[in-house]
Amino acid sequence: MPKREDINKVLVIGSGPIVIGQACEFDYSGAQACKVLRECGVDVVLVNSNPATIMTDPELAARTYVEPVTAEFVAKVIEAERPDALLPTLGGQTGLNCAVELAKDGTLERFGVEMIGCSLDAIERGEDRKLFNQCMEELGIETSRAGYAYSVEDALQIASEIGYPLVIRPSFTLGGAGGGIARTEEDLIRIVSQGIALSPVGEVLVEESIEGWKEFEMEAMRDSAGNSIIVCSIENLDPMGVHTGDSITVAPAQTLTDVEYQRMRAASLAVLEKIGVATGGSNVQFAVNPKDGRMVIIEMNPRVSRSSALASKATGFPIAKIASQLALGYTLPEIENDITKATPACFEPSIDYCVVKVPRFTFEKFKGTDDTLSTRMKAVGEVMAIGRTFEEALGKSLRSLEDGHAGFGGDAASDALAQIPDEELEEAVGRPSPERIFQVAEALRRGWDADRLYELTGIDPFFLGRMADIIAVERALASMRFDEQDAESLRICKRLGLSDAQIAHLTGTDESTVRTCRKVCRVSPAVKTVDTCAAEFESFTAYHYKTYDADETEQTRGERPRVMILGAGPNRIGQGIEFDYCCVHASYALHEEGYETIMVNCNPETVSTDYDTSDKLYFEPLTFEDVMDIVDVEDPAGVIVTLGGQTPLKLAQRLADAGVPIMGTPPESIDLAEDRDRFAAILDEMSIAYPPSGMASTLEEAHRVAERIGYPLLVRPSYVLGGRGMGIVYDRAQLERYMAEAAKVSPDHPVYLDRFLEGAVEVDLDAVCDGDEVYVGAILEHIEMAGIHSGDSACCTPPFSLSASVQEDLRSIARKLALRLGVVGLINIQFALKDGIIYIIEANPRASRTVPFASKATGVPLAKVAARVMAGEKLRDMGLPPDDRPLSHFSVKEAVMPFGRFPGADTVLGPEMKSTGEVMGIARNFPCAFAKTQLAIDYELPQSGTVFVSVCDHDKRAIAPIARDLARMGFKLVATAGTAHTLQASGIDCQIVKRIHEESPNVFDLISSGEVVLLINTPFGNTSRDDGYLLRTEAVKRGITQVTNLAGAQAMVAGMEAARKDGLDIFALQDL
Amino acid sequence: MRSLSEPSTTLLSGTSKGVQAPAVLVLEDGTAFRGRSVGAPGEVCGEACFNTSIEGYLEVLTDPSYAGQVITMTYPQIGNYGVSLDDVQRAQVFARGLVARDVCPTPSSWRSEMPLPQFLREHGIVAIEGVDTRALVRHLREKGAMGCILSTEDLDVESLRAKVQAAPALQGQNLVEGVSGAPMTPQLGAPASHSFAKPPTPKASHHVVAYDCGIKESILGSLAAAGCRVTCVPWDASAEDVLALDPDGVFLSNGPGDPEAVAATSAAAAELLGRVPVFGICLGHQMLGLAADGSAMKLSYGHRGGNHPVMNLITGQVEVTSQNHGFAIRFDSLGPLIPELSGGMAEHEDDLRVWAERGIAPVVQNERFGRIRLSHVSLNDGTLEGLEFLDAPAFCVQYHPESSPGPSDSRYLFAAFSDLMDGGADVLSVDIASDRLSGWKLGGEADHAQA
Repeated sequence: MPKREDINKVLVIGSGPIVIGQACEFDYSGAQACKVLRECGVDVVLVNSNPATIMTDPELAARTYVEPVTAEFVAKVIEAERPDALLPTLGGQTGLNCAVELAKDGTLERFGVEMIGCSLDAIERGEDRKLFNQCMEELGIETSRAGYAYSVEDALQIASEIGYPLVIRPSFTLGGAGGGIARTEEDLIRIVSQGIALSPVGEVLVEESIEGWKEFEMEAMRDSAGNSIIVCSIENLDPMGVHTGDSITVAPAQTLTDVEYQRMRAASLAVLEKIGVATGGSNVQFAVNPKDGRMVIIEMNPRVSRSSALASKATGFPIAKIASQLALGYTLPEIENDITKATPACFEPSIDYCVVKVPRFTFEKFKGTDDTLSTRMKAVGEVMAIGRTFEEALGKSLRSLEDGHAGFGGDAASDALAQIPDEELEEAVGRPSPERIFQVAEALRRGWDADRLYELTGIDPFFLGRMADIIAVERALASMRFDEQDAESLRICKRLGLSDAQIAHLTGTDESTVRTCRKVCRVSPAVKTVDTCAAEFESFTAYHYKTYDADETEQTRGERPRVMILGAGPNRIGQGIEFDYCCVHASYALHEEGYETIMVNCNPETVSTDYDTSDKLYFEPLTFEDVMDIVDVEDPAGVIVTLGGQTPLKLAQRLADAGVPIMGTPPESIDLAEDRDRFAAILDEMSIAYPPSGMASTLEEAHRVAERIGYPLLVRPSYVLGGRGMGIVYDRAQLERYMAEAAKVSPDHPVYLDRFLEGAVEVDLDAVCDGDEVYVGAILEHIEMAGIHSGDSACCTPPFSLSASVQEDLRSIARKLALRLGVVGLINIQFALKDGIIYIIEANPRASRTVPFASKATGVPLAKVAARVMAGEKLRDMGLPPDDRPLSHFSVKEAVMPFGRFPGADTVLGPEMKSTGEVMGIARNFPCAFAKTQLAIDYELPQSGTVFVSVCDHDKRAIAPIARDLARMGFKLVATAGTAHTLQASGIDCQIVKRIHEESPNVFDLISSGEVVLLINTPFGNTSRDDGYLLRTEAVKRGITQVTNLAGAQAMVAGMEAARKDGLDIFALQDL
Repeated sequence: MRSLSEPSTTLLSGTSKGVQAPAVLVLEDGTAFRGRSVGAPGEVCGEACFNTSIEGYLEVLTDPSYAGQVITMTYPQIGNYGVSLDDVQRAQVFARGLVARDVCPTPSSWRSEMPLPQFLREHGIVAIEGVDTRALVRHLREKGAMGCILSTEDLDVESLRAKVQAAPALQGQNLVEGVSGAPMTPQLGAPASHSFAKPPTPKASHHVVAYDCGIKESILGSLAAAGCRVTCVPWDASAEDVLALDPDGVFLSNGPGDPEAVAATSAAAAELLGRVPVFGICLGHQMLGLAADGSAMKLSYGHRGGNHPVMNLITGQVEVTSQNHGFAIRFDSLGPLIPELSGGMAEHEDDLRVWAERGIAPVVQNERFGRIRLSHVSLNDGTLEGLEFLDAPAFCVQYHPESSPGPSDSRYLFAAFSDLMDGGADVLSVDIASDRLSGWKLGGEADHAQA
């Protein structure tokens, strides 16, 4: 069946901001979809509030709306654009929920918009557990025994029938939010009440626990002719009980016999038919009892997902792209396999390598939260590695994590585990956590056998057996000297996935010696290709990985000069999709400049690791060893290290020392900006102000510095991104506490101490320098005052409160500084404005988090401009608009916080970054733009009800006007005694509520009752375990909008009022 | 070639594999791959071929169609779930040797009875691991199928090369003789340890005589599941002897090697066509093609794997199929096209995928058996995958609907054979999308309760 002729304009809904459980995999899917829909001659109308996405680049769609992904806004877009069809399956759960709402409220029908890919009925059969279970019963596919509860009493009744342990799953929540495992009645009451509160329909599923069973996923596709295929099978290394997003997973499935696999395959395809997936991809999850093969279906998602992105990367089969074509009416046999160019997409990829995915966690950011993994996803990112064997892929994946591990054991982090007593280790191994895999390695080093470890972990003995062999070789290696090794023995190590760093550590030598000897012995990796067909057919895409199966290498070199772009590795807080966005843009720009572009990255969620993005893709860890191995085979003309965040930047000096040509800003300039003393000298030389600062390696030194520059101090370890380990200390005691903890963060680097400019206005500036000229992309005024990490702070461009002359001063300083540092490419400068003085906080000669936002806000693609500059082009030849031109609209970027995922973690913002993503709001004025960002995050603005206000003494004077506005807008105000006193003194009507430790009804009861719609609470100093902490965490649990600083409160109230007064118009980027 | 170096021995001695003996694989063109022995000691010659199935190594090894071949599994780690003897396709291993990147010594599966290396040793199969199998596959893809020798005894490449060049070529050899058993008493239905996944065998309603040219257990199981009582006869049984058994239908099985070398079977098939309903799989399909005076061609490197897309031209639906063949019947050798039954087309096409694009199942006029329809086409390379005789109750497919290993999309063909024996027409017109679960049992609980 060819393409349908009646579909010419398709609405695609994106997934909104990056949150835990819904990350940039949906940008990868969405960008693929937009590209292929355009190739099919269809106009794409896109709605997505996330500016850091490739899909929202104005070239990718005919009409791009960076607007909240809510039914209200999407309806406005539908009304304005009148699309023929809506493709709801590409924007994750958010996009799907929004589409369902539009279908149910009649919007689609009213405007004659057809839902393609998946009908409303099919979505509901897939998502609603009751309908789903009924479908499975009709098919004869087993589900675990379960019942629905709408109250704690219901749940207790079900528990009495099924028995403990029980799994609780709230209906219709993202990434299983609010779910958990109940082993006792107490657990059950806690999780069920929380789950019912979180579920939009107040419903939870209480089901038999199949914890410890093997878990599998099947990625299936179907077309309108009823052709169905399995693209990839995935086996979870962590058994049932850990969310698949938090599990280490392996593709293809490793431990299923053909009979078991084919039965699961047939069941998956039958599920797609039964649910009624018209066309597209679905993910079907199964649990298998390891003792008798009993198979139970867990769930299915009738849309592209994190797993489908992984499956696409693992096989080279582009699920989202093909799903989009199928939605237009094409069938699988009509679509060509991109990679072979000779065979159809209607086949099942056969792979001849093993893929391991490992999740990346950031529990260290959320003190007070438990790091036990459960059915509720907590990972913020993931890495994927490809090897010829599980062993090789496992080693590569673990060294890709960038969390201090050099692989599976054999490093300093592993040595530290040797201190743990056996009983403690036994307990640790039995508890799924981010560290468990390394604890399993330690157990194997202690000689614990596979049976014992299987009992403790439920990890399949196949995996344990393979891991045991790696450890056996590591132990033998540790008993030898490095000079005892020969080519053959080194090859054995490399084939088991050991890194040079591990070999060096185990044999007591250094990494460069290992590398040198390895090269002398010719133990070098070969390049192999991901080709969907296990080499059965010729392939035409250069999607590569390295392996030590080195009889033959498949890498070829073209005519054009090659440039290598080093990506950003796994998403984590502080380094996310924004950097990938920059890498992708550089690749596009340099390809156009005539280069052969080579992308190196290990993050399967990204657009950069789409084999379509660059001329060549190496799916490889971003370690010195792996990058150098690729440099050796590719011999690039230049390597770009300044776009992927700290990951490649950390390698810059070593690469330069090894003779690798670094493109753009030289490592020397990077060091000039990063080295505090050298940088301070430059600022002095140029008469630019900066907060007094110092450096300390010991507590004594820190005290001396503190005496010299005075409190409060901003303290942080050197060379970090995302404010990791950063804090504000107000006195000597706090400094001592900080220094005691900071030593753990980065042992080789000292601590920086800066005078903290309390109450200053912070400003970010992004610019490109070509060595002769500087182009200022955007000046971003922060909404929160200094002291909150720039990544967590909302900001606005153009600045809403800075005079033209101040802006000109900022531009002028930026121009001088970029030229003086010798920047060739991007530079981000952070300023603080206080008492009429412009201070420089820091300058980073690399891509910043705000580059994508600034590019969207101004229409100038800064990352592309920077890449062209790095390739030698001059700014003056690019025809860029003047950088001081007035803009017709305001753009606000607001950070999105993951507190809902980390019960117990405080919500107060500070110098350590905690946000996972961002949204953008565009409007004619600042308050409306800000209001849009709040809608994009929370999906609604408080309209009426009770506002609870409690501020610290410092903020008391400034709270009055904000409270007055709220009162005028008709909100009822409630405050604790102190704040109430201030408000009443200012003539504002407000009710006093008892403090948390006083008798009921107190403020806690008020919050728990759900009566409060907005919480304004600013903390007292930096003590986190106060009353405010309890209130804030309770508000997170209840999903109540909260603001923890005055500037934010002011913006919020102004936004609420503006939205109410003027309504919020929509804008297409193409019209700006 | 020496054994392992001292440091290598130290490194490996504590692993589950320990220190293994060396082994070498040498291709006819002199290309050599060194590795370690993971099966029985010895030296074997055969045709080098590869299979892209990710699971199902045991089914592949014991499939008689692999007689005379040294199989390379493209998935690098095999043996992960060990050996369950209920999964074998014949009690004997017919492949001459096995080439793998890595064979797992510590398998895991609730049904496993032993690790794969032990099974290989017990069956005297020479096997090599540690080979860069991807490099080997790419070589075979580029250069075509060729002879090879696998040895753990002679490690000298030149000497091995001389031996493999002296070995007889596969083409023209009758390998069926070696694998066709005496009439066997086929097992009824699925083996015991499959009962968790497969329903009990129904009561037999048809009697089928099967030519055993190397028939797989799973074909017997699939026939039984379709209600057939099966009597096996050897490859060279005469048509008269078969008819004397009073069958409701005759089945022509898969088997190894060059179809032209199995003249007795195709001659018998020619006599049976039109007198009794006939169904052929793989070699059996080729037998029917040759019976209709068609000709076979050797494929460059064969189709072997579990992911081959085949379109049923009658329904337009694609089946993901299990395949294992090195020869194919030429559609144009069966006779001229009948334009009125071929969408008005009179010219044969080399690449049969044209028919898939046109949505037409073309029909030829065959001199001996009348009208024959092209029912199935490979979407990977446009070769013939299935035929339906319109003037005789017979159809046949080149691929393996019994899979084992492989997807179960094509199981409907066994039911279609039952329909054919019941006198049904147009039996290949089946919507497989609505029939994905046929032949599978999904709920396990009832069974456990009974046990």
